[in-house]
Amino acid sequence: MTNNNSGSKNEEEVGSYFLEVARGAHKKKEEEMEEDTEDEESPTELNTINSSGGFLVVSTDKMSVKYTSVNLHGHDVGVVQANKPAPVKRLVYYFEIYVKDSGAKGQIAIGFTTDNFKMRRQPGWEPHSCGYHGDDGLLYRGQGKGEAFGPTYTANDIVGAGINYASHEFFFTKNGTVVGTVYNDVKGSLFPTIAVHSQNEEVHVNFGQKPFAFDLEDFEKQERMRQQMTVEKISLPPNVSHGIVRSYLLHYGYEETLNSFDMASKTTVPPVHIAQENGFDEQDIMYALNERKTLRQLIKNGEIDAALGKLHDWYPQIVQDDKSATCFLLHCQKFIELVRVGALEEAVKYGRIQLAKFFGLAGFEDFVQDCVALLAYEQPRESSVGYLLEDSQREVVADAVNAMILSMNPNLKDSHGCLQSGLERLLRQLTACCLERRSLNGDQGEAFYLHRVLNIGKKC
Amino acid sequence: MSLFWIVIRQLAEIEAMATSKKVITKEEWEKKLKDVKIRKEDMNKLVMNFLVTEGYVDAAEKFRLESGTEPDIDLATITDRMAVKKAVQSGNVEDAIEKVNDLNPEILDTNPQLFFHLQQQRLIELIRNGKVEEALEFAQEELAPRGEENQSFLEELEKTVALLAFEDVSNCPVGELLDISQRLKTASEVNAAILTSQSHEKDPKLPSLLKMLIWAQNQLDEKAAYPRINDLSTAKLEDPAV
Repeated sequence: MTNNNSGSKNEEEVGSYFLEVARGAHKKKEEEMEEDTEDEESPTELNTINSSGGFLVVSTDKMSVKYTSVNLHGHDVGVVQANKPAPVKRLVYYFEIYVKDSGAKGQIAIGFTTDNFKMRRQPGWEPHSCGYHGDDGLLYRGQGKGEAFGPTYTANDIVGAGINYASHEFFFTKNGTVVGTVYNDVKGSLFPTIAVHSQNEEVHVNFGQKPFAFDLEDFEKQERMRQQMTVEKISLPPNVSHGIVRSYLLHYGYEETLNSFDMASKTTVPPVHIAQENGFDEQDIMYALNERKTLRQLIKNGEIDAALGKLHDWYPQIVQDDKSATCFLLHCQKFIELVRVGALEEAVKYGRIQLAKFFGLAGFEDFVQDCVALLAYEQPRESSVGYLLEDSQREVVADAVNAMILSMNPNLKDSHGCLQSGLERLLRQLTACCLERRSLNGDQGEAFYLHRVLNIGKKC
Repeated sequence: MSLFWIVIRQLAEIEAMATSKKVITKEEWEKKLKDVKIRKEDMNKLVMNFLVTEGYVDAAEKFRLESGTEPDIDLATITDRMAVKKAVQSGNVEDAIEKVNDLNPEILDTNPQLFFHLQQQRLIELIRNGKVEEALEFAQEELAPRGEENQSFLEELEKTVALLAFEDVSNCPVGELLDISQRLKTASEVNAAILTSQSHEKDPKLPSLLKMLIWAQNQLDEKAAYPRINDLSTAKLEDPAV
């Protein structure tokens, strides 16, 4: 360690924290994709391997099934499951069948069963299964007897079965309308299942490849609104949002925004009063507001030399170790700015002097490689390392410097506080709570993603 | 002292086991928090959304410059919206109606309830200013015909006119209509209607997220003991309440 003043441990922590943020920036796009699908496979076709062969025939496209023999008893049902269990990390799973032919008796069923289901029985007749039967309109769920549920269904009807993970319910539809819901107490993976049980019964299945008769999107919207209503009933302390926004502006040194915000808050009717009891924390984030603002502006404008100069004058401790993460990020940014304006020769020169020493240093290497890679492209903005030229990259560097200065505060109460704003801590807590709750709930239901919430309601 | 805490802890653990709650220590929880990815630009968007929806137009403009975050609405429309809001807040209802119609005449055309509430507010202001004759005329000519169309409008109209029957409104059972809160209520109704007409959500997202946090923590309480955040303004992580 070249740096042995008392704050060095703290500085190291701040530096490496933002180095990680900078390196994580380019993964953004991939993550967004992940959020949407959550990496779960959905059913796409019928499983021909475990179906009750002999009684039924599955079509070659694996999307329809027909009972070809003559049924004699209760153990020769033609049952077929989907090739994959219903995905769980979502609000709702749903699929539909179309009854092409109701055959001799119309003993068709739709429902959900588990992996080890007896494939010669109707869904709902055996434990850990659930089925809505066409001939009597009854719902069966593990007991011998069915319960009154919905209308019967027959040829030309479209019938759907779904799992609502938020309310822990199965629901069934007929021709686009919900006929009923029932509590889902089955543990384990659930396979979409259909059954036919009399001669010539024929059923086509739709796992979402074709539009559903049922308006699933609207159903999901209603369900979300129901949840939202419950949440909206919770009351908040007065002006708490206002206070959180204010401390966010303070934390990141958005001083001019803060001034306008405070000015406007005084003139609103009624004026906004922020409780001052948390003055302690405010002390932490008030520190060096003007200096932090100035540095942020310089970095945001790409004036890295000027920012380095100011840092030398105001906080020499921060820049005295030329191999610290903060210096590294600033030197990289300077290099990026040179590439941005097309001063490639100068960029090469600067890289040799300031960046070469970081090659081979754990933690720095990936990022410095990305920076240098900018030189390889005629259109660096369109390249795989184009993220470096985005404004958000400047913001990361500005945030790193900002946090570094906050950590210089001799009266610092909470050393963690300089890394994350109160808003960020709240959002992390929210995300972690939702994830933890889901994992204690058999992984069922939607997770919380800030990004998704921000995009809801945009131009609808 | 230390023995005391050991006993407390053991009791807590026994209790936790009895209810089969999972106990998550602060260290474990902090690791989970660390693994969460929150993007700076998303937080900036959230803050911008608050500034814009709440009508902090200057701050929104500054924030756009300082953080590079683009607002999700044309900032010029905020100024107009805030002018309407302010007019209602300060009792210039006629002025407010004119401004809303300048902005988009469809807002009041398609929203009879809002229009009625604005007219009602106008009546309240006339009564406040002691213009009894004018108030009566306005009530009979403008408001009563609308009351005939809608029973709830009629009830509200009658309640408002009742203000005239009292010399000392501070003792009047409908005196709250003269309160500043009535103006704020009407103002926020107009504000919401304008935002909706601009296909923007009428409430900022931040308060909903805070409510969601409280809700999510309460839900998780049923299954686990973990470090909560009890004070939203400090966002301080408490020790697991076991």
